[in-house]
Amino acid sequence: MNLTRRDFLIGSAAVAAGASVSAPFFLPKYHTVERPKRSRVAILNVEQYSQKIDQLLAAGLAHFPIDVQGKAVVLKPNLVDYLPNNAINTHPLLVLAAAESFRRLGAKSVVVAEGPGHQRDTQLVLSQSGYQQSLREEKIRFVDLNRDELIRTPLRASYMGMKDLWLPRTVLEADFLVSMPKIKAHHWSGVTLSMKNMFGIVPGARYGWPKNILHWKGIQESILDLCATVPVRFVIADGIVAMEGNGPLNGTPRPLGKIVLADDPVAADATCARLMGFEPDRIVHIREGSKFLGNSSPALIDQVGEALTRPATPFQVVPEFQYLHAL
Amino acid sequence: MTMAEHIVLSELSAELVGRQLPQGGWAALRSSSQPALEATCLSVLALGTQPVRVPERAQNFLLHIQNPNGSWPAFPGDDQEGSWGTSLAVIALHDVVPAIPGRLNGFHWLMNCSGRESNWLWKWKFRTADRHVRFDPDKFGWPWFPETVSWVVPTAFAILALNQLPCSCGDFERIPFRVERGIEMLMDRACPGGGWNAGNGVVYGSPLAPHPDDTSIALLALTDQTQDPVVQSSLQWLERTAPSLTAPWSLAWAILALAAHRRPVVSLASSLVTLPDLSNIEDTSTLAVVCLALDCHRAWSALGVTR
Repeated sequence: MNLTRRDFLIGSAAVAAGASVSAPFFLPKYHTVERPKRSRVAILNVEQYSQKIDQLLAAGLAHFPIDVQGKAVVLKPNLVDYLPNNAINTHPLLVLAAAESFRRLGAKSVVVAEGPGHQRDTQLVLSQSGYQQSLREEKIRFVDLNRDELIRTPLRASYMGMKDLWLPRTVLEADFLVSMPKIKAHHWSGVTLSMKNMFGIVPGARYGWPKNILHWKGIQESILDLCATVPVRFVIADGIVAMEGNGPLNGTPRPLGKIVLADDPVAADATCARLMGFEPDRIVHIREGSKFLGNSSPALIDQVGEALTRPATPFQVVPEFQYLHAL
Repeated sequence: MTMAEHIVLSELSAELVGRQLPQGGWAALRSSSQPALEATCLSVLALGTQPVRVPERAQNFLLHIQNPNGSWPAFPGDDQEGSWGTSLAVIALHDVVPAIPGRLNGFHWLMNCSGRESNWLWKWKFRTADRHVRFDPDKFGWPWFPETVSWVVPTAFAILALNQLPCSCGDFERIPFRVERGIEMLMDRACPGGGWNAGNGVVYGSPLAPHPDDTSIALLALTDQTQDPVVQSSLQWLERTAPSLTAPWSLAWAILALAAHRRPVVSLASSLVTLPDLSNIEDTSTLAVVCLALDCHRAWSALGVTR
């Protein structure tokens, strides 16, 4: 076959055009791989919210070589809204216990910070959910991330297609950010755990209530970009009473009796998903996050504390997420 | 206004004056030095009776940070596509003669800004493929920021702002249409038992709970719709809820809204002034709204609420 110069040029141009169109689908959307070689997760059996949580949490944290000496620790609970007798928010007793533990471990400062995604009156959520009085009594500072000072921050992954986000100074300047989610099923993202909990750092004053831009850019994609950009150093997940069904607000409380601790948010969320009876790799942000942020495979997770057991009845989810249920 | 309310108002106004930043604006939080649009506009409205230097510096600041497209950013240095606070800025600059050209540009921007569901493509999506949130995409209002859908608070403030224009002639002939659609949108997004939250009344078939502040702000924009059943049920919900509120932001908005609809608020105002640590409130917008709630008549005039 004779290949003319003209054929060669046309062929080369076609290959180049094809590559440029298809490359975005194949190239990784994360900038760096931060995944640890191994991760550690502890499951604690805690049947109810009581003053004993303090001791149980301190014992659980002893499974980890945590160094917060002289560091600024920010605890990021999940505070969305308040409805009586529902399991929407991370319980304040767990947050207080975490603050006390990190203070004992030598933290320079411990701040609780959150930007509720649904309710604009942060103080109302704090007072109704029992946080305000507890934080005042324990002299723990709270920062409303919806209204904190903002810094334009380049994103370290490009799942959403945005170059940067305005993010709160308190979170960006933290030495040790602890995600403290409530374990819940979620009607848009399947689950809301330590990674989805990072939606709360996106400031309402800049992006609205709810943080609608993240929904338009893709919830799973937003979770990945946020977690790539603002590293979660530790996870304390509240699954003592979790939520199933139409979460994050209108689901049903589901007593699970667990607190999950982890030094890796992907490992934490994969473990929580298994405790809920889900297959973690069917959850997009966990599967994708396991490529560069953390470990979801049990083979790469050192399990300490209680054994990981799947529930006899998996958590209920809205029909669109039935496929999450493990076989 | 009782003596106790007068004393508290004086203290809080002084605190608010003390928080004005050198640039003329106010930060969202007391501990911050980054000016924020919402806190600045609400402070300007709350301090309308202060010596002229305070509002003048604030008005100059607002004019200085206006975007070239007529909108206002959420804070100086923000991207320039505009924010919902544009409505608040044009309200805050009411009666300021040097601000007339800037306000007109702001009104133009508001007229051209609408929730994404106003576009036929997104209407079609919400009618066919994305029906988990119950709403009628034909009834649209204003978004928090461009490129997203309409929400209750931005729509309510945009209605209040556009109602301040004395006529809808020339370039503004579409104002009645937009205001009417906005009012329809608010009615459509109400929670089933009355009241509003951010704008999701029913999701996945489940009714969501209303919020006192969102409900109050919507009601302020609907003072000429008092007889509407949605407004009536929302007023009843707010009247039941307000006495138990202990958060100053929500309680202050509830007072403004209930009084605007001629409901009694004497005991609510008494509760407001006895809340602990009012002058130590970290959130500057809350401080400003409490000042407004303690001087309702001036607040309605400043916000453009018709009674």
